[in-house]
Amino acid sequence: MNSPSESSEYLLLFRGTDWHNGLSPDEIQRTMTDWMAWFDRLVADGRCLGGQSLATEGKVVSGKSLHVSDGPFAESKETVAGYFILKVADLDEALDIAKQCPALAYGMTVEARPLLARCAASQRVLDQLAQTTN
Amino acid sequence: MKTNQYLLLFSGPDWTTGLAPQEVQEMMDRTHAWFDRLFGEGKAKGAQPLEKTGRTISIKNGMIADGPFVESKESIGGYLLLEVADEEEAVAIARQNPMLTAGLNIEVRPVADICPSVRAALEKTALATA
Repeated sequence: MNSPSESSEYLLLFRGTDWHNGLSPDEIQRTMTDWMAWFDRLVADGRCLGGQSLATEGKVVSGKSLHVSDGPFAESKETVAGYFILKVADLDEALDIAKQCPALAYGMTVEARPLLARCAASQRVLDQLAQTTN
Repeated sequence: MKTNQYLLLFSGPDWTTGLAPQEVQEMMDRTHAWFDRLFGEGKAKGAQPLEKTGRTISIKNGMIADGPFVESKESIGGYLLLEVADEEEAVAIARQNPMLTAGLNIEVRPVADICPSVRAALEKTALATA
């Protein structure tokens, strides 16, 4: 976690757990078959390092009180449904892959985010610190 | 012992706001120690922070739209993949994250063996044909 950032890794966050609403079981099955073929191809190409889908339940832990609540994860457009970790040349390549997502047509959105070696917020503070002490 | 995977998704406002550089350093040290311990125990399988940039892909009016990633306090800033006994253990680990005191929010999500949307559709089909 402490090496400098030279990120060619990108996280694709798939958002939306309601994309299947209004689709027939056949359409859902076909979308999933396309999805698995897409994922398998990316893995075989060495461009996807891994990916998982998430169950639509879970907990949220927050705040100083360490409050634990049931996550309101069921069927929303924003809920993270799953992720891929990509190893590609640049953001453009990650976006080309994101645009191939078979559930886009049904309202899913894909967030493509560069992965870092170090937390972005702490890096900024450390950079500032380095500047002021130089 | 059977283990299960849980994905912890970290979000929240910029946790460094209002902290002195030394406090930021201390928080980072404690948080790194927390990660290191979990990796040492074999309970953490992967963890990475995310850059606060990126793009969002969706379909608008039938066309693929390539929009900016907009940072908010709901934005995800990093993830940790855990392999533990059950959800209770995953939640207990989440509650030990030092950054909770700085306003961090942690989603604890069970990893699914099959996309839940597809499972629901398959179950519906099975019911219809039963």
